[in-house]
Amino acid sequence: MWQYEKKLQYPVNIKNPNPALAKVIVSQLGGPDGELGAALRYLNQRYSAPCREVQAVLSDIGTEELSHMEMIGTILYQLTRNLSMKEIKESGFDVYFVDHTTGVYPIAASGVPFTAATFQSTGDAIADLNEDLAAEQKARVTYDNILRLADDPDVRDPIKFLRAREIVHFQRFGEAQRMVQEMLDSKNFYAFNPSFDK
Amino acid sequence: MPLLNDKQKLMRKIQQASFALVEANLYLDSHPTCPYGLKYYAQHKKEHEQLMDEYAEKYGPIRAEQSSTEEKWGWVTTPFPWERGES
Repeated sequence: MWQYEKKLQYPVNIKNPNPALAKVIVSQLGGPDGELGAALRYLNQRYSAPCREVQAVLSDIGTEELSHMEMIGTILYQLTRNLSMKEIKESGFDVYFVDHTTGVYPIAASGVPFTAATFQSTGDAIADLNEDLAAEQKARVTYDNILRLADDPDVRDPIKFLRAREIVHFQRFGEAQRMVQEMLDSKNFYAFNPSFDK
Repeated sequence: MPLLNDKQKLMRKIQQASFALVEANLYLDSHPTCPYGLKYYAQHKKEHEQLMDEYAEKYGPIRAEQSSTEEKWGWVTTPFPWERGES
């Protein structure tokens, strides 16, 4: 189970609203490599992990992703406060506004709503952990791109924190992958089906 | 860095202590017998607990279970962290 804490993992305090920036950052909420997909990927994959260490890594990183989802939601909320209709129209935020006003809703920057089709839970630890390593790198690239698009230091600071977490998670998933590979026997030397064909 | 009030300063300390625990937790998941990691976790756990108690006493609950149950449910008397200035 989970217990909510009334605090952010890392502070988010944005002075200046910027709907154009919210329009791209929303991808890290509901986009193909966003925090919601990350949380759901790891929290569903963990049941078929073959040892407690890897079950722990998936549970705890999945849990941290939920707190990152909250940070992104907070960034979006603060970037879209007190907007005038003129700002909404001129920033291009109108295409989001028409369906969601300034409510926080998980979509990709392209407008595609969040979908579980962007991740897998294969029941195979080797396949899943390789996806997880790629997922952390893809999310890191998205944060790199957001940093290319964002000038406001109030936005860049929490985005840099989130980017750094992708790198740490990649490291931990690498260790989890090594652990699973070391559990394989000689028949599975090339890492085929360690979870199912026992 | 904007000037922080006492409540915000205490929240930053909690975020730092809590981050040390999150980071050590992930590390210990894949290095469960590392003596340095275990010691690091134990040290920061104590600090985190003290700061959480201090914050709840001065400014209100971070966990629902820390809420006051006298007259009014304390959980709904303090802002949520997505408001500017609350994190």
